[in-house]
Amino acid sequence: MAASMSCKNVFQKISSASRSNLKRSYCQSINLTNAEVRRKRNEIFETEKKRQLGLITRMEKIQVDVKGPPEDCTLIMNKGISTPFNCSMHIQELLVNRSALALVNGEPWDMHRPLKEDCSIEFLHFLDEDPRIVNKAFWRSCCLVLGHVLETALQNQYYVELCSFPKPHLQSGSFVYDADLKLKDWKPTTAELNCLTRVGHKLHHLDLKFERLEVDASIALDMFQDNRFKSQQIPFIAESSGSKVVVYRVGDHVDISSGPCIASTNQIGRFNVTAAHQIDTPDYGKLYRVQGLGLPSQVMMHYWSYDILRRRAGKFNTAPLPRLKMESSPQTDDNNTEIST
Amino acid sequence: MAAPRIGNVLCRISNCNFTSVLLEKINYSRSSTCLLQIRHRQAFPPAAWYVKRKTTDLDENLTKENEEFLDDVMKDVYRKRLDRVFSPLEDGPWKRNEYNRYTRRTGVLAIKIGVVPQWTKEGKRFTTTMLQIIDNHVIRYTPPEKFMKSAGWKPWWGNKYGVAVVGALSTNPRIYTKEYNNLFMESGVPPKKKLTRFLITENAAVQPGTPLNAMHYRVGDVVDCSAKTKDYGFQGVVKRWGMKGMPKSHGVTKTHRRMGTTAGGKFKGGIWKGKKMPGLMGNRWRTARGLKIWRVNTKYNVLYVTGQNVPGNTHGFVRVMDTKLPLRKPAPDNPPPMPTWYPEDATEPIEEEYFDKDLFQFTEESVKFAEGKK
Repeated sequence: MAASMSCKNVFQKISSASRSNLKRSYCQSINLTNAEVRRKRNEIFETEKKRQLGLITRMEKIQVDVKGPPEDCTLIMNKGISTPFNCSMHIQELLVNRSALALVNGEPWDMHRPLKEDCSIEFLHFLDEDPRIVNKAFWRSCCLVLGHVLETALQNQYYVELCSFPKPHLQSGSFVYDADLKLKDWKPTTAELNCLTRVGHKLHHLDLKFERLEVDASIALDMFQDNRFKSQQIPFIAESSGSKVVVYRVGDHVDISSGPCIASTNQIGRFNVTAAHQIDTPDYGKLYRVQGLGLPSQVMMHYWSYDILRRRAGKFNTAPLPRLKMESSPQTDDNNTEIST
Repeated sequence: MAAPRIGNVLCRISNCNFTSVLLEKINYSRSSTCLLQIRHRQAFPPAAWYVKRKTTDLDENLTKENEEFLDDVMKDVYRKRLDRVFSPLEDGPWKRNEYNRYTRRTGVLAIKIGVVPQWTKEGKRFTTTMLQIIDNHVIRYTPPEKFMKSAGWKPWWGNKYGVAVVGALSTNPRIYTKEYNNLFMESGVPPKKKLTRFLITENAAVQPGTPLNAMHYRVGDVVDCSAKTKDYGFQGVVKRWGMKGMPKSHGVTKTHRRMGTTAGGKFKGGIWKGKKMPGLMGNRWRTARGLKIWRVNTKYNVLYVTGQNVPGNTHGFVRVMDTKLPLRKPAPDNPPPMPTWYPEDATEPIEEEYFDKDLFQFTEESVKFAEGKK
């Protein structure tokens, strides 16, 4: 049957997608796509995670003192494997759902980060007396989600390279991600912003965990070799924290971030992409500053009040431009050095 | 045939011979009937145009400063919009047409404040009801062609009438749902506590966002006031229908406020439909027709209308419309402001109170004594 068809007809019937696949078998594809890069990063992350888990040969126990509501208790957990999330599972479903961060020996700790030694834990949520730490973690997590949105939302021919995001500063009115979108003079319409918003908002229902992984600088470079900004930044980051780089994975999106992130995308209640302004940076050239606004699921707000915040989040965020130098690097640990709320 | 009684024996008389009676025992389950007494008016499924109004209680936990900030923003936003008389979405003011005898203008939504006496110049005392036209704006106007396709149209109206939706009492948008708040986008006014609609002819079309006040009516105009009557709940026959009942003593046993006889015997078909019986009293729409406006207060937008029988409780909402009584309509040489009164219509400065020519004003002299002779 195929033999009777002419070559021309065969090629006409094949879709453009498969045609590029055919091409790839003979030579490396000329154009990178975000989907490919994401898949590759995910693979590296997965193998590294398995390798690190494999390093634990013996199951050792640690004593974890859990403080706070409903009551103080002591748990015996597995060293290097159990996370504060697992501890909360032993206690109460309320803690499982609402806890965004844990304070392990007073240090902010991700919910899905394994515990290393005997410690005391306290669970933090958004309606605490003093939610400053959780708020910053939330803002940081929203930046990661915004990065995910940018890498996923655009069409295949636009290879998005994320640059970085500044320190979380809630009073500025929006969280920010600076990225090279490969678009010329793009002024997003309300409809386009709504589409971007929807991409981010879907993650709420997927309930994706923020998985933390400490990797060696070389592995990080391998992961981000296709991103010209991150491959420049990684040596600087590794320098300050002893050749280790912290990466986070949300679903299949992998990104670099220093501080703790919230437990899961389920805790992001409201998510909006509010604006995309063009910026000119001395180190990285022309970038887009994409801004967004979010609220935790725990925090209730009438749509009218939220709209006021949303309109403000559309205004240009005056956070410092992304720089390569150490002092204003966006990857400094901002939790312990915060001065005011 | 008599209705079957639950759980009891049903007697069925066959067609052929009244002597042959078939006795059957039929069981009816009670599960379908409501076990609770209905002590209020039956709530049927909402109409097609119904929009959910209030949000469920949102525990926002805002600080006091934030609450004050939101109030300031709200006032700021709406003050700017209310300064403009006309809708920001329209190009300009709509055309104002002439009044003719077929015209139906918009009504207003007022609150019944209370009942006060007034006196005529002859000294006759009569009661008037004060109706305050409270923060009214036209929310929407639907022309007849569009109205005919909508859910709220009745076929006997034909294509004569359009609809003006009027709202009263602006409030905080944060207590309402998005769907309800969006009703007010066209007119640009804050969301209203109460909405009502008035059927109007096309030549009386009002632009959304137009404020309505007491100057919409003149002294001497005749209006119809419709409102929901006072809700007395489930009432007995003496209060509800004014039946006499029975004596309180002289041997009367256990029957003082009852109905007494219900029907006229089995040959008259049992109890007739519409028999006056105890039941829910009040809470119905009633219209008091032909009420004359004796006095208009422009500072507080209050109309003084004849009578004390405007339906409803004090501080209840009342729909005030131009009367439909043909002999009480305004004379052709004295038409009312069309479609409503606008500030530019004022040829002279507006007084605080306008009195009917027959109404006695207490600032006037009441008695004049002749000077001179004793």
